[in-house]
Amino acid sequence: MAVHLSQLIGKTVYDERNRALGRCLDVLVEERSHATPIVCALAVRASGAQELLVPAQQVAWLAPAIILTTDAPSEYLPRGNELWLRKNVLDRQIVDLEGHQLVRVNDIQLIRRGDGRYLLGSVAVGGASLMRRLGLEKLNDLGQRVIGSKVPDRYIPWTEVAAVQPNAPIRLRVSREKLQAINAADIADIVEELDRPSGVALLEMLDDEAAADAISEVEDELQPALLAALPAARAADVLEAMDPDDAADLLAALEEEDRQDYMSLMDTEESAIVGKLLAYPVDSAGGIMTTEYTTVPADLTVAEALVHLRTSPQAREDETMYYLHVVDVSGHLQGVASLRDLVMADPDARISEIMEGSPVTVDVLTNQLDVAQVVAKYNLLEVPVVDQEGVLHGIVTVDDAIDAVIPTAWKKRLPRFF
Amino acid sequence: MKLPTRFSRAVRRGAQRAMIYASILGPGLITASADNDAPGIATYSMAGSRFGYSFLWIIVWITLGEVVVQEMAARMGAVTGKGLTDLIRERFGLRLTFFIMLGLVLANLGTTAAQFAGVAASAELFGVSRYIAVPVAAAAVYLLVTRGSYRNVEKVLLVLSMFSVAYIASAILVKPDWSEIARQALVPRLQFSTDYLLAVLATVGTTITPWAAVYMQATVADKGADIEHFGHTRLDVISGAALGNVVSAFIIISTAATLFVRGITVESAEQAAVALAPVAGQWAEILFGVGLIAASLLAASVLPLATTYAVCEVMGWARGLNTRRADAPAFYGLFAGLIVISTLVVLIPGLPLFLLMWLSQVANSLLLPIVLVVMLLLANDQLIMGNWRNRRIINIITLVLAVLVTAASLALFWAG
Repeated sequence: MAVHLSQLIGKTVYDERNRALGRCLDVLVEERSHATPIVCALAVRASGAQELLVPAQQVAWLAPAIILTTDAPSEYLPRGNELWLRKNVLDRQIVDLEGHQLVRVNDIQLIRRGDGRYLLGSVAVGGASLMRRLGLEKLNDLGQRVIGSKVPDRYIPWTEVAAVQPNAPIRLRVSREKLQAINAADIADIVEELDRPSGVALLEMLDDEAAADAISEVEDELQPALLAALPAARAADVLEAMDPDDAADLLAALEEEDRQDYMSLMDTEESAIVGKLLAYPVDSAGGIMTTEYTTVPADLTVAEALVHLRTSPQAREDETMYYLHVVDVSGHLQGVASLRDLVMADPDARISEIMEGSPVTVDVLTNQLDVAQVVAKYNLLEVPVVDQEGVLHGIVTVDDAIDAVIPTAWKKRLPRFF
Repeated sequence: MKLPTRFSRAVRRGAQRAMIYASILGPGLITASADNDAPGIATYSMAGSRFGYSFLWIIVWITLGEVVVQEMAARMGAVTGKGLTDLIRERFGLRLTFFIMLGLVLANLGTTAAQFAGVAASAELFGVSRYIAVPVAAAAVYLLVTRGSYRNVEKVLLVLSMFSVAYIASAILVKPDWSEIARQALVPRLQFSTDYLLAVLATVGTTITPWAAVYMQATVADKGADIEHFGHTRLDVISGAALGNVVSAFIIISTAATLFVRGITVESAEQAAVALAPVAGQWAEILFGVGLIAASLLAASVLPLATTYAVCEVMGWARGLNTRRADAPAFYGLFAGLIVISTLVVLIPGLPLFLLMWLSQVANSLLLPIVLVVMLLLANDQLIMGNWRNRRIINIITLVLAVLVTAASLALFWAG
């Protein structure tokens, strides 16, 4: 049998002898590892504005009336792991882990277990629960009778939601795995929608990789604020986990002093790469390029090159390996070979024979719009970025090139008022 | 491509953009132009032409009220990182929230209708029928906003709507008696007539509104809970309100000096434009008409959308211009509804516009005391505000404001 929280708040609590003890203020549930939370106490306002916590063991029924099993309830002692349903969950925004979106909790359903204890079943987020709380249930029933349809309700099982709140991260360990599984772009949307402290609480639940991906997906102007809200050491870890070009963009938007602080906390190698990227103007090829690309020496055979790739830690890091970059010992770009060329070629052929010897390149200082032109003109997936001596410094992938030309989506610009 | 999914994000965009313009045009002018939209200019022009300088002291005190309310909203936004409506729903539950949102929608519906009335008035200055101008404007607003091409015309509208600054020049050129103006601005002199009370309430209604507080808190909240640097924000709020009201005062001074002295009470756009004659000469009507239409279109684009965001967000409904119409029926329905109803009201001859404006005024004046009390409860809550709770003087001023607005409303209902 299910009870709704909205039907309990303000209800009279009767003791065993049917005397009114007070009014129900809140319902406390206890979070348990790998099990549905169980109701552990009722907060009751007794006569004289005195508040007391009645242990759930002494509650006989919640519906149709709240009746206790005793006439002298003992005091429940909070352990600190309780969730106050009205205070912390009802009417708040909560992450729907299935739908990957934020929903607002209109009501909470409690379910009576065989032994008489109540479990936290699901949260109601639909229109019918909204109408019920506004006292418009009858209107909804009328709709059913007159036009044959009514506002539907939607329940999400408690196991499929994550309540994110700063200062009360009780629910967090349970939902971390499920949160982690949500696409970074969706997480970013949720973080943007939440108020800042809750958004940061959500980010803090994720591991460095997931947090880095999410922050990279968040709008540029919001990123510095989110980073600043994380503890400095954690922020540095997240920066390390980001793609170097994204990390550099983010750092470039910070105050000089903050930038130095984060970079000094970062791993030296990562911070050196990012530092190099930061030296280029933001709208140049150097500013938008990534330093994660794959190189092979020119004198290898195709078979040796494949082995080289599988064992190279650098290639392992590289998320988009469309091309191999053939460089000499001092880093000069000799040519590029697509992965297709490599796979289709005779294993004994030399890389220098199958590579494109005079690939299209851009200079580190080329304007990003010109980079996009080049990528579009030659239908490239990426373009190598070289300096005046022909030394390879990075690549601009097609997605970053596009980002540069399509101005941060005109549609997201909304009308202003003040 | 990501689109904003949240009311406060829409606001943040605005705020950021405003900062960019601010670096060119100065922050005071931004706020001034927002305060002085179509209903604002109409209200000040009417008040100035009817009561002359004797209305100025009201502006002084309204500025104090505006600063106190807006500072409180900004402070709550900075401390909690949440919007006012969010806080209300979390602290006071659904019913009160629903009631307040209903009031906000009604009030903003009236204000949106007033913007379209502004479009109608300025179109007719140029001899274009309102039955052509208003539907075209409404369709343009809807399409520009939902298709996102609004951005392209926004800058033009913004610059044009700065025309209210011309009132300052106009007032100075008339060479009014400044000592008399100073005396009238500083010495309160209350008049007890229905017209006067109506004018006072209308002035409060365009300056201190629940909506302005909601908007302010969302703007600040979205910049992030950065209470350490609240000093800057506070200064911004105060100077913005002050400068906005300086422009309002100059509208009153110039209308008083050009119209009140001749016993002309503003009833039409042609008459209102006369107040700009000292600075614009024969071009006064054009300056007034173009400026008014720009200010009206600007507000008519933003207000319905921001209202829709606020309602959908607090009720937990799907929202955002990136959602499909079928997925967010409430969002698109409410947005289109606000525009369609306010357009119709302006076009149907006779009663409806007046009725809606009146309803909107009632909604505002009923809502304002309630929202002020709710804000006081929130801003004094130790759990929510910590060390940033209201000081006693803020509580007193806000309570006095709430009582005065209630008293003025009651007096008006009594008399009317």
